[in-house]
Amino acid sequence: MREIDARGLRCPQPIIELGKVISEIALGNQITLLSDDPATEPDLSAWSRMTGNAFEKIEKDTFLVTKLS
Amino acid sequence: MVRVTGNFQSESPLHPKAFEVLHAAFDNGWADPAKLSESSAKARALRNNALETIATSLNLQVDWLVPVSPTSLGYFLGIQGLPINSKTLIHGATDRKDVFAVAAQNRHQVMQSALDGKLIPSPTDSKNSVLALQVANAETGVIQESDAIITGTNPEQIFLDATTSGVRIPLGNQFTTALFDSKSWYGPSDIAMLIVKEPSHWSNPLPHLNAARPNFDVSLPLLLASAVALENFSSEVKAANLEAFEFNSQMRKAFAALPDVDIAGNLDSSMAHMLSVSFLNCNGEELLRAIQKDGYSVDSGSACTADDLQPSHVLAAMGVLTHGNIRITIHPATSQSEVDGLIASVIRSVEEQRS
Repeated sequence: MREIDARGLRCPQPIIELGKVISEIALGNQITLLSDDPATEPDLSAWSRMTGNAFEKIEKDTFLVTKLS
Repeated sequence: MVRVTGNFQSESPLHPKAFEVLHAAFDNGWADPAKLSESSAKARALRNNALETIATSLNLQVDWLVPVSPTSLGYFLGIQGLPINSKTLIHGATDRKDVFAVAAQNRHQVMQSALDGKLIPSPTDSKNSVLALQVANAETGVIQESDAIITGTNPEQIFLDATTSGVRIPLGNQFTTALFDSKSWYGPSDIAMLIVKEPSHWSNPLPHLNAARPNFDVSLPLLLASAVALENFSSEVKAANLEAFEFNSQMRKAFAALPDVDIAGNLDSSMAHMLSVSFLNCNGEELLRAIQKDGYSVDSGSACTADDLQPSHVLAAMGVLTHGNIRITIHPATSQSEVDGLIASVIRSVEEQRS
């Protein structure tokens, strides 16, 4: 599983990095996104609605993203 | 007064009529209206006239008006002045931070927001509740369905935040206290009107010795300017709303044609002069600066533009993208060529950032 360590990066960088990596993986595959930016969690919910993908928060600053579209 | 071009920020210069009156107001309204001298009597008459004008324009009784400065204090006075002890304060997740600050001192419950910005009335376990309800949102312009929320929460007392809706949206009559902001009708900033419709259910929550004389009064010249601005804007508001609706439709259509755009709320249920739009994979601060270079000023709800680096709590509560956000306010002086220029500048800036 791919991992993106975006800790220390400010918005919109974590979502931009996620967008790059998700275009490289196959449907159904997952990415772990590490991000401590306060905008990442609300932006992941908007991003998943806009792009048709899914995410869940595993623990503080750690998100599991699933490619669905 | 110099005309400002390209201004799409929430603030704007004073209404030209208010600007004209300010000089005369400082000339004639310098005395303490409460004293006995001739100049005080004159100041008292000016104050009473201003309050009459404001009451008439707002379609409210003059004895309900309590001028307050600054506006943020009005939230505390309007909510905490209600009989709130041992009650639950119900308010919205998209309210101004001033409401959150008052709620933090009280037992409270937060209504969540749907994606379109409409608050979802939550069933309360408390029969004794006070509702703080924002008529229209300060960032997105989304208008709440006040009657449905009041029915859904069944509060004992209601505080309405009309600081953004102003005279653009009728207040209705289901409230105990309400708050207007002079800025919403192009009067001076930080002059607010607290409306106390039911004085038996309100008392000054600030430490005070004389209940008859509020200890948070406003500058008389600024009150006069506010009254003049309100009187004039009230006669222009219909035309201003119609024109803003047209400009807003043009902007929404142009921005929605770009890929990966998130517009907060629908125009049909929002203030016609406000628009909040987010562009995926763009940086709000860089967008704002690029647009400024083209001569247009806008606001942003993105974290990178905020003092505390926190994203807009309004966008987050709605589930709208918080990064790459710009907020646009259309003023009565806004022209078609400014709108065209802004649209072109935004599209160019977004495309440049994404390339």
